[in-house]
Amino acid sequence: MTCREAGPLLHARLDNELDMAGLVSIDLHLSECRACAAKYAALEKLHEEIAAADLAYAPGIALERKLATQFLREKKSPSRFWSWNWLNASVMAAAIGVVVLILSVPMLRIGRDADALGAEILDNHLRALQTVHQVDVPSSDQHTVKPWFQGKTSFSPPVPDLTEHDFILIGGRLEVIHQQPAAAIVYRRRQHVIDLYVSPSAGADSKPELRDLGGYHLLHWSQNNMSYWAVSDVDSNDLRTFADLIRAR
Amino acid sequence: MDAKVRFFELTMWPHMRAAYNLARWLVHNDQDAEDIVQESFLKAFKAQASFRGSEAKTWMLAIVRNTAMDFRRRNKSGIAVPLGDEGYEPKDDSPDPERALVDQSRREQVRQAISHLEPEFREVIVLREIEGLPYKEIASVLGIPMGTVMSRLSRARNQLLVELGGTKLDGAGEVQHDLP
Repeated sequence: MTCREAGPLLHARLDNELDMAGLVSIDLHLSECRACAAKYAALEKLHEEIAAADLAYAPGIALERKLATQFLREKKSPSRFWSWNWLNASVMAAAIGVVVLILSVPMLRIGRDADALGAEILDNHLRALQTVHQVDVPSSDQHTVKPWFQGKTSFSPPVPDLTEHDFILIGGRLEVIHQQPAAAIVYRRRQHVIDLYVSPSAGADSKPELRDLGGYHLLHWSQNNMSYWAVSDVDSNDLRTFADLIRAR
Repeated sequence: MDAKVRFFELTMWPHMRAAYNLARWLVHNDQDAEDIVQESFLKAFKAQASFRGSEAKTWMLAIVRNTAMDFRRRNKSGIAVPLGDEGYEPKDDSPDPERALVDQSRREQVRQAISHLEPEFREVIVLREIEGLPYKEIASVLGIPMGTVMSRLSRARNQLLVELGGTKLDGAGEVQHDLP
């Protein structure tokens, strides 16, 4: 075998594309030709370096969610979808989200405003589901999400880790609801996104109150001078469980 | 279950990450890559009747690749030249106390070197080295013969070796090689 003939086989060997005969003949050549052996070593090193550099670009969660929303809209049986075990956690994260929003006092002061506020929050939730800008800080780590709000809000929203209860943290984003800054904490439960909106409130504590709007559920409550809205298309009992867990923290 | 949804779940969705990675390497910007993936998924969804049960991954990636090529043609000015094409200089191997920084910059060098390749060489490197596809599947994604895959891969790797400057083959070796 000449070096010229060996050239392409070096690559084929590296890529496990040779049959036994090819392997035997190139290995024989490599054992006799220092130049080709050096070249092969260089190619091997390059191959390892590219692998070590881990250069695959990962899609943002927003894209995953957008595609899931776009193509699974007509889905008839959600539970079936989730039984496919090839779905890994990140894929599920894409399709499911829970956003928790905490709203500020001024928005909630007047009871009459609550419905309008609920509608505004639902709009915000739906807009977030459809845009690239799902979270400003994508992280499943509460110790990443919580500090992110420092300096961006005058309050520190609760960002509990509810993984053991099957509410998975996706991240957080800053929102403006009724001209007030609000923290939106995003969780998911199975294929559902939950937004939790949080903002300061001077009102008295109140228990979660459920509203249904266009197939979505909104739960609103006040606690320790903070106002909370949780919105999602998740089952309303699940949303109540979620609210109870947030309130217990 | 709805057949269309099932098709999406089983045939398209599992290859979403590979689709995004390929698109992202071909266009150099997150937003464009996302648009290409979305457009590709729409095309694939509409074309599912034409999917004949061949390898789903290569089928999806072929759609993504063609969509990316169309995109490049439409936006020639924006992407014709890879980032920083002119001034790339491989660094020497002088020791650095900050090992982590060195590793990081080496990683960046490898990334840059690949992004500097012409698209037809970059795509074979991405499909082979990053996605780990065998030659046959690369040929199928790109719609070219396997021999062409091999020659492009060989040229691409040689360019990377030169640009990354990691291994200096001695002159005699190069002459003896007489590579095209």
